[in-house]
Amino acid sequence: MTREQYQNRLEDLRADVLYMSELVGNRLSRALDALSQKDEAMAREVTDGDDVINRQYLELEGECVNLIARQQPVAGDLRFITASFKILTDLERIGDLATNLAAYALEADREIFSDVDTQQIGAATLAMLDAAMEAYEAGDVDLCWAVARRDDEVDEMCESASDAVVRGLITSGELIEGEIETKLPEVRRLLLTVRDLERVGDHAVNVAARTLYMVESNDELLE
Amino acid sequence: MSETTQTADEAQQTRDGPATSASVTTTGETDEQIRESWTDYQFDGRAQIVTEDLNVYYGDDHALKNISMEIPEKSVTALIGPSGCGKSTFLRCLNRMNDRISAARIEGSVEVDGREIYQDGVNLVELRKRVGMVFQQPNPFPKSIRDNVSYGPRKHGDIRKGLLDRLLGRDESEKERELVEHALRQAAIWDEVEDRLDDNALGLSGGQQQRLCIARALATDPDVLLMDEPASALDPIATSKIEDLIHDLSEDYTVVIVTHNMQQAARISDQTAVFLTGGELVEYDRTDKIFENPESERVEDYISGKFG
Repeated sequence: MTREQYQNRLEDLRADVLYMSELVGNRLSRALDALSQKDEAMAREVTDGDDVINRQYLELEGECVNLIARQQPVAGDLRFITASFKILTDLERIGDLATNLAAYALEADREIFSDVDTQQIGAATLAMLDAAMEAYEAGDVDLCWAVARRDDEVDEMCESASDAVVRGLITSGELIEGEIETKLPEVRRLLLTVRDLERVGDHAVNVAARTLYMVESNDELLE
Repeated sequence: MSETTQTADEAQQTRDGPATSASVTTTGETDEQIRESWTDYQFDGRAQIVTEDLNVYYGDDHALKNISMEIPEKSVTALIGPSGCGKSTFLRCLNRMNDRISAARIEGSVEVDGREIYQDGVNLVELRKRVGMVFQQPNPFPKSIRDNVSYGPRKHGDIRKGLLDRLLGRDESEKERELVEHALRQAAIWDEVEDRLDDNALGLSGGQQQRLCIARALATDPDVLLMDEPASALDPIATSKIEDLIHDLSEDYTVVIVTHNMQQAARISDQTAVFLTGGELVEYDRTDKIFENPESERVEDYISGKFG
């Protein structure tokens, strides 16, 4: 392996990480569609396809290890490879969360708390992921900070969604016997949906934080 | 099993795992049994060089012990190990450079393209034309750049040039020009010297001289290029050019390179053979495997920079 080839491999790694993020974003988007449309086939497609992401994750992780072992990267190259190595984990986790969301779509059969807009939260987290990857691709530091700021909004959205559910349960008065049992899984799924979306946002922030480190050796967002 | 009922050997084995792995002796040196599977490198494609039970003695000194190695064609094989481990001795066996050392005694077999090179009647000039050597210090002839490259082919009669040939009408200047350009291009130095082919080669920089020496070795159209620390006398930029060149050359040639620079071996080679003190080949495998997960603890210590 040579310096020219080495540079090509670094570019390939960047392209592969971006491609993996597209696959993951696509899966997240389809999981959200499956949730809103109660589309069982689409949900199943997402739950069944997670191994593709896992395989790619392991392959790219191996490539990072190999580059470190054989090319002794330093400075910017080292930051790029180590940042990519960590970003891959975040992408893989987002893939797992997309699988969770699709699984909820398979179980849910009716709408509860229609005022809780998980689609809006989902769209916001998807936009965060896109922005974080754009920052990674272009080395855009401003965009990294923007992703972090956006996460504060998403966190607020998630918090008010959870509050709305709890408030609704409290104010709805006593439920008649039997209704509790049927409502419990629905409520749990809704709260888990909100929690998982919030985590997608957190992983997008991680991507932005690693990118900021990669570009400027700045670890402020990692704290 | 309680400590009191264990034999000394069993106790040792319990601490160190299987008996075949390294065990630390009281002197602090590792006493590791080399497993045959560590050096039995499997690869796709054809072996260009096969050595079997190769032993070299310099007088009473047993410099290489039972080296059996298959070297795949059109790839880069790195030989690494500490000073005195026998890696250069091994390299020199591959085109019988050790023949020049009167005290050296060589046993075993070395086949290049299926032909034993240590048998009577082997034409050494022909062998060294097919198995070229590039040394640590660039050693161009004190002649023009052009003459450095065309010297070999002229010597071997591949091109005819000179007063007699001119008089006899068989001058091959055009062929020489093409051959020189081809070799210099292959050695990635053509662009730097095309305007001054008649300048003395000693006026080139160290890195350029080394690439010229590679061009000189390529000019005789070898199958194998042996390189003994070809970049150790060069700065990082010149080193990087040589490394790029070695990679490109491996598409057409079998390159065997001795290097003290483990990082260089990791960067440029397809497979790596690790020789350790005592003239033993300890591990030989894909370079990925050697640098990510070697079998031998001694090899791991060596490539990690932990000695003793």
